[in-house]
Amino acid sequence: MAEITTKEENGENTVVRLEHVSYRYPRTKNYVLHDVCIDIHQGEFIAVMGENGAGKTTFLSCLNSIIPNYYLGHMQGNVKVYGMDTKEHVVSEFSRKVGMVLEDPESQLFTTYVRNEVAFSAENMQVEPDEIRSRIDWALSIVGLTSYKDRETTALSGGQKQRLAIAANLAMKPDMLVLDEPTSQLDPIGTREVFDVIRRLRNEEKMTVVIATHKSEEIAEFADKVLVFSKGHVVAFDEPRKIFQDEELMKLCHIRPPQVSALVNYMNMKNAEIHRLPILLKEAGGEIEEWYSGGRKDG
Amino acid sequence: MNYVDKDSFMHRLDPRVKVIVLVFFTVIVFLITRPVLIVIMFLSFLSVWTIVERLPSAGLIKTAKFVAGLMGFIILLQAIFYTGNTYILGPVPKDVWLIGGMGIKWEGIAFGLLLAVRLMALIVLMPMVLMTTPIHLFSLGLIRMGLPYKIAYMTTTSMNLVPTFESELGVIMDAQKMRGMTIFEEKGKRFRKMKAWVVLVVPLVIGAMRRAQMMGMAMDARAFGAFKTRTCIDSIRMRWSDWLTLILCLAYGAALVVLNWILR
Repeated sequence: MAEITTKEENGENTVVRLEHVSYRYPRTKNYVLHDVCIDIHQGEFIAVMGENGAGKTTFLSCLNSIIPNYYLGHMQGNVKVYGMDTKEHVVSEFSRKVGMVLEDPESQLFTTYVRNEVAFSAENMQVEPDEIRSRIDWALSIVGLTSYKDRETTALSGGQKQRLAIAANLAMKPDMLVLDEPTSQLDPIGTREVFDVIRRLRNEEKMTVVIATHKSEEIAEFADKVLVFSKGHVVAFDEPRKIFQDEELMKLCHIRPPQVSALVNYMNMKNAEIHRLPILLKEAGGEIEEWYSGGRKDG
Repeated sequence: MNYVDKDSFMHRLDPRVKVIVLVFFTVIVFLITRPVLIVIMFLSFLSVWTIVERLPSAGLIKTAKFVAGLMGFIILLQAIFYTGNTYILGPVPKDVWLIGGMGIKWEGIAFGLLLAVRLMALIVLMPMVLMTTPIHLFSLGLIRMGLPYKIAYMTTTSMNLVPTFESELGVIMDAQKMRGMTIFEEKGKRFRKMKAWVVLVVPLVIGAMRRAQMMGMAMDARAFGAFKTRTCIDSIRMRWSDWLTLILCLAYGAALVVLNWILR
């Protein structure tokens, strides 16, 4: 598996470097991460995929030192995030660089009002109140919750809660945002809302984003690279198009390709001969049209 | 007993005043021994709840019902074990094994009743403070009073979790009902109901532990504890009305203690 991992030795804009990281949780025998070597660069959008239990959450937990600081267990290798070794610094030190959004919207909100929730992290970092107020306005405008500033957090929908969790992390002005299946408990509308926010972070704020998700359509649209885990091993780390083209990999890791890719794959199976596999709906329109008009000419 | 979002006298009061008065009255309730004064105290708290603050009483009634069983038990225990000789029932002849000499005594019932009223007074007072103080101002008040912010947050965050656990318990109960659990709808069968609680409490406790861990993680990830102190976007200020309220409450408590001494 080792040759699949990317190792660009430029170091310049590398923000995360995992060197031969293996990890097992306390009181367990089996490693959930095996010899993971990954570099993540500034401004990259990385999607982490793999079936449940493949090691996605464990990997993400390494990125802001929740592993090894929060969960004990046994870790081999080194994780360097913005030059800091996760073994030598505590979680709150990484929070200045890395924001983290968890899967469950409920357990990451702990104040009564939206504005206090956003202010919480900045207050912890001893930011001046006036600066915090402007950060609240900025963060809430990015996630589209400006008009909810004085609402109670309990009154928000699931999608709004996740957007608030993102805003609450943005108030720290982190350089990187890590999201652990932020939409798995949301309905399609909530999912769309959250991904719209992520798109803005990527396009307007140029933020480094690492997200674990099963939503192939969104990954196809946003991600620079897809990191695929299977049973704790990194089995692929490449552009989404290459990943979704690899049918065997999809099957092996129980990953659902985008629906348009699945459709074209099916058509190819029926001898349609579409050579460029589309991963986005807009691409598929062109490819299928071309094939259809070509097919008609032959016929 | 969640925070009630509205504008009232107690809502505007500085959280520090509320905390001090709460602690002060909790001590006073147990210092006072004259029944009439304890009842007066209870009624004064209750009237603040209903007349001055007009807070919803549904939660209060629910809590009172819940506590009634506990109080009955307290009164019974006191009736049997409190010293006194005005027997209502008994005493059992001395030569009976184990329960010889025991009986229900009036002094015990009176003492138990007083204890119950004391408890009721606190049950009115405490939620009144929680229902009129947003959590973030409550913790800010504690911090301004010199409590380290980690401890202040530990206290207030756990208070914040109570309604969450209530709703979670509701979910677990519904799930059990959907699988055919009918014991809570049936009348009587107290012992079987107590046993049935096990299947509700176990998932609740496990869920609570998991949630507490996740929450701690999320707080750490948002720089909680990175520095010794933290800034705050909210500010609290003691105004003259706060000082006046504090002085009046302290005077009221002191007057009760003096009256208690006179009436002894």
